[in-house]
Amino acid sequence: MKKTLMISGVAALLATSAMAETVGVSMARFDDNFLTVLRNGIQGFADEQGHDVQIEDAQDDVAKQLDQINNFIASGVDAIIVNPVDTSATQAMSDAAAAGGVPLVYVNRQPINLDSLPDNQAFVASNEVDSGSLETIALCDNWAAEGKTEVNVYVMQGQLSNQAAVQRTQDIYDVIEAGKCKVTINVIDQQTANWSRDEAQNLMTNWLSTGTAFDGVIANNDEMAIGAIQAMKAAGIDMATVQVGGVDATQDALAAMQAGDLDVTVFQNAAAQGSGSLNAAIALARGEAVDQTVWVPFELVTPANIADYLSKN
Amino acid sequence: MSDAAHGVGGLKYDPKKRAKPPELNVFFALVLIVATFEALGWLIYGDSFLFNTRANVDTIFNWARLNIIILQVSIIGIIAIGVTQVIISGGIDLSSGSIVGATAMIVMSFAQTELVNGNPNPKAVFGTWAFDLPVIVPVVVGLVCGMIAGCINGLLIAYTRIPPFIATLGMMVSARGLSKWWTNGQPVSFPTEGFAAIGKGMLPVVYFIGLAILFHLILRMTVYGKHTYAIGSNEDAARMSGINVARHKVLIYTIAGMLASSAAIILSSKNLTAQAGMGVMYELDAIAMSVIGGVSLAGGRGSVIGTVLGALIFGVIISGFTFLKLDAYYQEMVKGGIIVGAVVLDQWRQRRNAARS
Repeated sequence: MKKTLMISGVAALLATSAMAETVGVSMARFDDNFLTVLRNGIQGFADEQGHDVQIEDAQDDVAKQLDQINNFIASGVDAIIVNPVDTSATQAMSDAAAAGGVPLVYVNRQPINLDSLPDNQAFVASNEVDSGSLETIALCDNWAAEGKTEVNVYVMQGQLSNQAAVQRTQDIYDVIEAGKCKVTINVIDQQTANWSRDEAQNLMTNWLSTGTAFDGVIANNDEMAIGAIQAMKAAGIDMATVQVGGVDATQDALAAMQAGDLDVTVFQNAAAQGSGSLNAAIALARGEAVDQTVWVPFELVTPANIADYLSKN
Repeated sequence: MSDAAHGVGGLKYDPKKRAKPPELNVFFALVLIVATFEALGWLIYGDSFLFNTRANVDTIFNWARLNIIILQVSIIGIIAIGVTQVIISGGIDLSSGSIVGATAMIVMSFAQTELVNGNPNPKAVFGTWAFDLPVIVPVVVGLVCGMIAGCINGLLIAYTRIPPFIATLGMMVSARGLSKWWTNGQPVSFPTEGFAAIGKGMLPVVYFIGLAILFHLILRMTVYGKHTYAIGSNEDAARMSGINVARHKVLIYTIAGMLASSAAIILSSKNLTAQAGMGVMYELDAIAMSVIGGVSLAGGRGSVIGTVLGALIFGVIISGFTFLKLDAYYQEMVKGGIIVGAVVLDQWRQRRNAARS
C-alpha cells in the first residue's frame, strides 16, 4: 500500500516536472515568526508562477539539513533553496549540490563561502549592515529635530551568539564613527536581553533604578524595544520625551508605533526574499545568468509611512 | 531549663545541640552578596547599590532597585514554589518551563481583544467569539491546562513507576511541541485590558509572596505537607504507615503544574504577548532557586522560605551585575558557580551535623 502510494507520488512528481520546475526548499526552522513569512512567500510565489515546491523543516539541525539537500539531489529536483541552519556549515551543502549538478540558492542567511560559490549558486537576503544603520540614523534625525545636540542612550542587544545581533549593534557604532549621526551619541550601557520582551522589561527597569538621565533606547529588535517601552511606561516616563527604535516591523511593534510609543522600526521584506530566491533558482535551473548576490533592501518604518506596512507582516 | 529531663530515656535538652534553621545560612549568604555589590559599587562608581543617592528622590533606599530585584524573579519564583514541594517529595519537575510556554499560548488565545488602535486584531487566533471574553475565561483555561499537564506527570510517575526525571522530560518536550504547534510558531498578542491588569506593576510580587506564605503554611501545618516530607524522607516507610503514596504524588505534580500555569498567566499578562519560546530554561532556574535555598535533591528536606531566599539571591545577582555594568557572560558564570557552591556548602554542613550528633 505504502509502496503504491509512493510510486504514484513519484509518478505525479515526474509528470508535473515535465511542465514546470520542481524546487526543493530546506528551511532552518518552521516555528520562527520571520521564517514562516518567508516560507509562505516562497510557497505563494510558486503557486502564482505555477512551479512545484517541496518545503522541508531542518529543525535547526545542520546534519538534517544536509541530508535533506542530498535527498533533493537524489530525487532529481531542478533547483534547491536553502535557508541555512548554520551559516558556517554551508561549504558541504555547496559541494553536494555542485557534485549533483543541481543549482542552489541560499536565502536570508549569508553563507560563509559566499566568495567562492560555484556559478550555478546564488544568495538572496537583506544586508544587516543596513538594518542597524537605518534605525540609528532615523533616531539621530529625530533627536536633531527635537533640538538636541548630545544624547545619552541605552543599547539592547539580541543573543550575543547571533550574527544579526552583533551586526546591528556594530552598525550603531559605525554610524557614529562615520559622522552620519546629526547628534553626539553617548552609550551609557549596552547589555543583552536575548531578543526577549520579558528580559528587556527587567533590564530596562534595572537601568531605570540607576536614575541616570537618558534620551532613548536603541534595540536590536522590536520585542526588546517593546519590553523597554513597557518598563518605561510602568515607571511613569512620558514616551514623547524618549526615542525608542527596533527592527522587524512586527504587528506588535506597529501597534506600539500607532500608540505613539515606538518611534522607529525597520522592515525586512520576507516575501521579497522568498520570491527573489525562487526567481534566482528558476533562472539558474534554466541556465540563465543571475546576480550571485541579490540584496533585498531593508525599509525604514516611521509614523509617517506606517500605513504602507500594516498588512505586510 | 537546660537540665530538664525528657521522658524515661533521660535525654537532656542541650541548647548547643539544637539545629539552627538551615534557612539562616541562605539568609547570611544573601546579606553577604548584597554587601559585596554595595562595596563594589562604592569602589568602582562611587554609587550605592541599595541606598538612594539621587537628589530628586527623598527616600533612604533606592526603591526602584529593591522593587526590580524581586519583580524579576517573582514569576520564576512562583514556579519554584511548586518545584520545591516536588523536590521535597523526592521527585523532580523538568516540565515547568514548557508548561509555561504552552499555557501562555493557549491562555492568550482566549484573552485577545477585537480592536487594536481601531484596527482588527492582526494576531487573532480564533474567530470573533473568542474576542473580549471576561478575564475569568483565560485564567480558568490556563489553570486547567497546567493541572492537566501536572496530573499526567503525576499519573505517569505514580502508576507506571518511571523515574520523575523521565516522565517530566517527556512532558517538557511534548508541551514545547504543543506551544509551537498552537499557532505554527507565531506569537499571540494584544490582550484585553482586563487580562493586561493581572500582571501590571508589582502585582507579580504580590502573587509570589502570597503563594509563598500559603505554601509555607500548607507544607508546615497540614497533613498534605507532612505526607510530602514523609514520602521524600522514606517512601517505603511512608507507604507502610498508611499514606496513599501514589495518590499523593499525583496531587503534588498537579499542584506544581497549576503553579507553572499561574506563572504563565502572569507572565503573558505582564508582557502583553505569548510566544512559543516563552519559559525556556525556567525549569532549571526554578530548580536552582530551590537548591540554593537549601532544598535537598535527595528529598525530605527544605522549605518554601529557603526557596524565596534562593530567588532573592538570583534577583540580587542580576540587578547587581547590571548595576556594575558587567556583561551577561559573567552573570551566567557566577550564577553557575553559586548553584554548585550552595550545594557543596549544604552537603558539608549536613555531614558536620551528622558527625556531631
